[in-house]
Amino acid sequence: MSGMRPEFGFFAAMVAGVLLITAMNPHPYGYLNLTLLFVPGIVLFLTRTRHDRAFYLVCAGEPLVVATGVVNLWAGLFAACMLAGITCGALGLLSLKKDYLLLVFFWGSAAIVTMILQLSNHVRLPLILFGVGIVLLIVIQMIRNYQFKKQYSGAHL
Amino acid sequence: MQLRRCTRGLCLIASLILCCAYILDDMATLLAGCTIILGISGQYLIFDRQFRETVASVKTERAPERTMVRKGTTLRVSTIITLIVPPRMHVEITERVAFGAAVQDGTTAVTAVSGPDPQAFRLSYRITPVIHGEMHFPGISMVVQNLFFSDGIDLAADAIPSPILLVQPTGLFDSSLKRSTLESREIEKMSALSGFGIRSLREYNAGDDSRNIDWKRSAKQDRLFVREYTGMITLPPLLIVDLPWCGAPVPDAEFSRLVTAVAGMAEYSVRTFHSVSILLVSGPNILEYIGEEKDIQRCMSALREWMHPVHRTVHLYHMHDRADLRHQIRLLENQILAEEDIPVRTFFATLHANYLAAVQHQKKPAFSGQLVRTLSPLPMDDIFLFSGGTGDVSHIRIIIRQARSLKFRVHVRVPDTGSISSQSAGWSRMGAETVEAFA
Repeated sequence: MSGMRPEFGFFAAMVAGVLLITAMNPHPYGYLNLTLLFVPGIVLFLTRTRHDRAFYLVCAGEPLVVATGVVNLWAGLFAACMLAGITCGALGLLSLKKDYLLLVFFWGSAAIVTMILQLSNHVRLPLILFGVGIVLLIVIQMIRNYQFKKQYSGAHL
Repeated sequence: MQLRRCTRGLCLIASLILCCAYILDDMATLLAGCTIILGISGQYLIFDRQFRETVASVKTERAPERTMVRKGTTLRVSTIITLIVPPRMHVEITERVAFGAAVQDGTTAVTAVSGPDPQAFRLSYRITPVIHGEMHFPGISMVVQNLFFSDGIDLAADAIPSPILLVQPTGLFDSSLKRSTLESREIEKMSALSGFGIRSLREYNAGDDSRNIDWKRSAKQDRLFVREYTGMITLPPLLIVDLPWCGAPVPDAEFSRLVTAVAGMAEYSVRTFHSVSILLVSGPNILEYIGEEKDIQRCMSALREWMHPVHRTVHLYHMHDRADLRHQIRLLENQILAEEDIPVRTFFATLHANYLAAVQHQKKPAFSGQLVRTLSPLPMDDIFLFSGGTGDVSHIRIIIRQARSLKFRVHVRVPDTGSISSQSAGWSRMGAETVEAFA
């Protein structure tokens, strides 16, 4: 008998966590978290046979990440991590043990980003830092790709 | 590297969220955007690593049937590709065909899905080199993709060792070099029309055209030499008339059109080329040959004598050509190798055995030999074949194939039955240069 699919486990954890966070941090817009909890669940059910499921799930889950992040940034991180788990599970990206390690690595990276955001007063500086990091990554990858393709394609590159 | 549709959508959403975060100066929105970008970046790094592993695992063994062929010869090339496809990856491999080679048939592309062990794929195809010289196989092309990204790479021959095919020019093997233009040919005799080739050099005589002086030879011999060019001759076409069998009568109107078309062509040939040659056949039976008839009246009286349905002593009934049978056998061999379904493979194997038996037991028809003996001494370039085009056309296929092998152009003329466009493809496949209908 096969066990519960990972995306349902992550969804259950997200529901429990968001309910707990909302109860512990009373906020005028707390009801919004509870309302937005339903959206990823509904999309998870409706897009069972659709292509590009990742897009629909992320679109459905991001409002919840923003809403819980307004209450508490670490709560937003929790919602984002669970959403990543749901998306990966739904796409079949958690079939190997190594995949869970990669998911945990993503959670760790997201936690570092959240810590930087927590220490910042305004959006501008972390946004610039993040943008510079992405541009650097793209440039490094372009150079690596050029070297790699030159090695295998030779003069035909 | 290319983003797939889902990833493009996610990037768009992340950009919008980051813009909103900047405008609203809201950390929660920034966190949402950053996590999407972080996820996409992570997936990209995973894809990049798996892409490199896949490319590095590729091993290729390419084996052409022969390493030295002449231009225009068809040969089979087999390529075995071994590679490891990581989980959730999808690889499309395409053989890059050498420049100057045309693919005749076979498989040049294959799709691989993820599997635990190295997977081997066999590509088998036939090529015809159309340019002489050394032919290098350029390698293979790969397109690797997962749920989020796709990337392609051309694996060059430098990275994948492959044999070199030496293509010899056709001229080395060509038995007869004839320079022919439309309805004319060079001859060794002199004539009023001069050709392009030089048949001899002789000493200059008073009155010779000074443009024909060969200055190089003149300087060597210290005397003036002039070039004598080859002459040109216009060659009349041969008309082959396929007369209907009296056992299967054709409509009078249709036969009258055939007679009119043949008579018209004969008259045109006499007026233009000053002679006409006509070969009368009926099925695989040669009836009469009228050679280089210059008198239009005698030609017409001969046609009046012969142009009627005749009795056939020999019949062919849907006789397969040996070349076609061999082609079918080659196709079936490919299908047997490619087919995985056991009953279908058994069917192909049975068909293959039947075709092989047919090739082994089929004798060459006497008609082919008679045709070659009749056509080979004739000085001509074009053959006009007039036929009813109905019933069995095995003998017509033999005529066209034999004429093509003797380097004659065959123009088929058949009655307009309303389906000339569909028939045209069939005649062209047999080797006919042009197909026209007579009304």
